[in-house]
Amino acid sequence: MSMPEPDNAELERLLARCARQEHRALEELYKALSPLLLALLLRMLRSKELAEDALQDVFVGVWRQAGQFDAQRGRALAWITSIARYRAIDMQRGRKHWVGLEAAAESAAPPARTESTLTQRALQRCLSLLTGDQRHCLVLAYQQGLTQDEIAVSMGHPLGTVKSWVRRGLSSLRECLGS
Amino acid sequence: MNYEQYPLREQLAGAYVVGTLRGRARIRFERSCTASQSLRVAVRRWEDQLMPLLRDLVPVTPSARVWERISQRTKSGTAAAGRRAPWRWALAGALALSLLVYVSIRSIYPPYQVVAALGQDKVHPVWNVSRSEDSHSLSIRALQHVESNPQLAYELWALPRNGKPPVSLGLLPRSGSIKRALTTSQQAALLNSDHLAVSLEPSGGSPTGSPTGPVLMVGDVRAPS
Repeated sequence: MSMPEPDNAELERLLARCARQEHRALEELYKALSPLLLALLLRMLRSKELAEDALQDVFVGVWRQAGQFDAQRGRALAWITSIARYRAIDMQRGRKHWVGLEAAAESAAPPARTESTLTQRALQRCLSLLTGDQRHCLVLAYQQGLTQDEIAVSMGHPLGTVKSWVRRGLSSLRECLGS
Repeated sequence: MNYEQYPLREQLAGAYVVGTLRGRARIRFERSCTASQSLRVAVRRWEDQLMPLLRDLVPVTPSARVWERISQRTKSGTAAAGRRAPWRWALAGALALSLLVYVSIRSIYPPYQVVAALGQDKVHPVWNVSRSEDSHSLSIRALQHVESNPQLAYELWALPRNGKPPVSLGLLPRSGSIKRALTTSQQAALLNSDHLAVSLEPSGGSPTGSPTGPVLMVGDVRAPS
């Protein structure tokens, strides 16, 4: 991420305080994460209004569910970004096809910057073992929130082909990343 | 479908996290996750391993109104639970009494049919939901005493089959049974739904009119006999 990555231990402390209904902790969490989460939501929802609505729901959800966060070390950021991504996917339900699918396809790229942690290096190595089409499908779905129908339109391939790329991409990734 | 077997479990968990699992299949998968530790573990593993794909995000500062709204929504939730005006209790009591009178008149007849049994699995249902023959009211019985944080509530939703958003059917009792008249739109939603769901919400129910907390269980609606 282009800003200093939030420290998971600090996020966990803030979540524990949110679980105790300390409103000040929610505010600190919001300051630390909202610019990052808004960027994520904008990329998936492509409307500032929708993305800001989703952002609200995410923090209200985090506030209410903080007590259910089981503090597995190092997971706080993954937990919160997942809440945001799933919220965006739910908000996409029933929408029409996006305009500007081609622009979305062009901007989707595998992570290019120099990786530092073990997880990042592992993912980059495993993504590089996929075919270009498989990688492209998974990255479009994950980063841009495109459905398989939308990926098929944006890549100009039949839906069945896209589904099989996604399926094979996921199983190769699982095999490579280990379980 | 057996989600527990390794290759299928990993495919589904991966598709869920990546976001290619959509619609009903996504809802079904979420429902299975509430009951299966191994599915939750698989989802967490994918979430952790794919997160580096979010590294190239360029932060965007939200408008000031976003925090204002969050602050309102989160503060009002806790304040309302703490100091609820006494007259609201009195009103709730009166309402319960009138409902009781209504129900005891109705209960001369046996008008309710079971619509759905809701629970983590089919063997141990937590709530039985029944509707009156004319579909104008619901009867909900807690089959076990339901433990919960007093700041949280369990809310019942109809999931219309036409893909329209869930419609709230009100809060669920923690013990005993309640009967509740349905509005016209709730009646329509119930008749058009194949599934009911339970979500965890702040006390007083979802502030948005849609489920905001996790969906804990989903049950099939039985066709009227």
